[in-house]
Amino acid sequence: MIEQDLNTLEEKSIFILREASQRFKNIAALWSMGKDSTTMLAIARKAFLGKVPFPVIHIDNGIDFPETYSFREKLAKKWNLDLIVEKSEIKPDPIGSACCGANKADALKELMKERKFDAIIVSIRRDEHSIRSKERYMSPRDKEFRWNYKNQPAELWDDYTSKIDAGSHVRVHPLLDWNEIDVWRYIKKENIPVNPLYFSRNGFRYRSLGCTHCTVPVKSNAKTVDAIIKELESTKVEERSGRSMDKENEYAMQKLRALGYM
Amino acid sequence: MKVRQITLLGHKDHGKSTLIGSLLMLTKSVTQTRINEAKKYSKKLNKDFEPAFILDSFHEEREGGLTIDTTRAEVLYKNTAFSFIDVPGHEELINNMISGASYASVALLIVSAKKDEGIQDQTKRHLFIARMLGIKKLIVAINKMDLVEFSEQRFMQIKDELSDFINRIGFRSEDVSYIPISAYKGENILDHSTNMKWYKGPPLLKALKETPETGRAKDDGALRIILQGFLNGKRNSVMGKVVRGSIKLGEKATCIIPLNVNVRIKSIVVRGKRVNSAKEGNSVVLGLDKEINQDVRGSIICGEAYCPIPTDNIRARVFLTKALGKDTTIKFNGMEIRCSIKPLSYIDPTTGQSSERNRLKGSSLIAIDAQLKLSRKIAAERFDDTQELGRFLVYTGTEFAGIGIII
Repeated sequence: MIEQDLNTLEEKSIFILREASQRFKNIAALWSMGKDSTTMLAIARKAFLGKVPFPVIHIDNGIDFPETYSFREKLAKKWNLDLIVEKSEIKPDPIGSACCGANKADALKELMKERKFDAIIVSIRRDEHSIRSKERYMSPRDKEFRWNYKNQPAELWDDYTSKIDAGSHVRVHPLLDWNEIDVWRYIKKENIPVNPLYFSRNGFRYRSLGCTHCTVPVKSNAKTVDAIIKELESTKVEERSGRSMDKENEYAMQKLRALGYM
Repeated sequence: MKVRQITLLGHKDHGKSTLIGSLLMLTKSVTQTRINEAKKYSKKLNKDFEPAFILDSFHEEREGGLTIDTTRAEVLYKNTAFSFIDVPGHEELINNMISGASYASVALLIVSAKKDEGIQDQTKRHLFIARMLGIKKLIVAINKMDLVEFSEQRFMQIKDELSDFINRIGFRSEDVSYIPISAYKGENILDHSTNMKWYKGPPLLKALKETPETGRAKDDGALRIILQGFLNGKRNSVMGKVVRGSIKLGEKATCIIPLNVNVRIKSIVVRGKRVNSAKEGNSVVLGLDKEINQDVRGSIICGEAYCPIPTDNIRARVFLTKALGKDTTIKFNGMEIRCSIKPLSYIDPTTGQSSERNRLKGSSLIAIDAQLKLSRKIAAERFDDTQELGRFLVYTGTEFAGIGIII
């Protein structure tokens, strides 16, 4: 796995967050308490000199791990986050995956109707999944949250998309360039708090975090950030191999994203 | 490590995605899972294994056999990291090609040597756009050599035909090299091909590794900071990016152009920490000695010594992806500025030749040298002096219509 220059990555993410703060009037960020979205919040604190200036949303389906809930409470308090917890239901989604992904999109839609956010910060990375690698730094969604992946706007020269029509919003992706190993190296460098589920217990740890129904742990003895980095330096297995949603249907990710699921 | 951005260029079907798929496999830069997935899918579509499937992941791309959008692949070769930006070759997808290619400093052009393929209009258009985007280094990979019996004659034929055009649009000969390859068979990619002993140059990856990075043309230390706006609404605290030069605390006063306000920098924050100086590439927060009562977005901070003169009249080369309508705006450093565009001459991107009248078919996928009159003054420079202050996007109504560089 290629280890990129962390300063360069950080500068770009800071730039994107600050651009978003100028281009949009009502921003919010999604937070899953995972390593990526927590890293994004740490960077936002730097970008805006100490405080995260936008609300942070947890779409809660009620079946997250207990460690996740307690991590949420602790960090929200420590970093003085403007936390919004929006409940989502669990039921089969339109394309038949046994995952609640699309229901989280419904919960987010409800919240957005209420709060009228015009931009949502999402901490996806290009290297996570081949479909994500097609994303832009700022990517518009229509009123139904659909991603028109066939007709993406031109994005170049530090210019990014602003809204496309009333009632739509833009997804902001400040971590697009980061690799999995870069996130961990940054966490180590900056001493960022980490959800304990990432560390090994009884010979297993979670490399990627979903909720209790769809996340499968991987074999590992890595109990510290250093150990995780060492493990990643030699791994040949994809990060999301423990996420059943990705496997079930080849184009599940593309369909779900096109439908409005993040 | 630094990741070198390389954009692929070329007509659809000449093998860009196949080349990247091969590069990923040959350098072992892709997981077995991805290779297996691509193999499985090739089988499903009743095809021989398509390395291009490793990258073309949208299902329309695999089933339709074409790349729709730009995507990237990271390759590690002998301690150098490359990010290959794959772009669609199809004419209709030119916006996606422009977006992808804009991140690169080196272009890798793929041209098929196959009979009835060879140099196409789109091949040349891609080169023209790459040159406009400021790319100076070019490697031309003449592909599918396995389908022309590895003929040196065919290779030279394509090379000669292309080099005229390449020089005419502004690439220097010393910055361009030509390599015969077969992406599908992996010939001359990692190792010297035994089938092309007449070729004495390096194989592709070696050539890429040896291509030096281009630095800034002028390095006279002139300071340019492009401002994004006020931090948290505080009017004596600005956020921006240093695109050129460096700034130290306690230096002589600086100007905000085009506002014509002089300020003193009282504090500099880089990556969350207070520092004494900032340099090119840093995103900064600057504490000023006064509040600014105008909008600063898109303005620049420069040293007193040499500041560009604010202007509302620029001369630019514009590549149009759409015909211009009545309602034209340019997007420049975070600002949207209404303008009028008056063409002075028309350039055919497939020949590089210009004429005073539009002799080309249609009014899109053409280039023009034009005079632009803007609705207000901006801080701008020639593209060749400071790229970030000399480039803009053109919109007609709400639609992206092209790119422009100030000449």
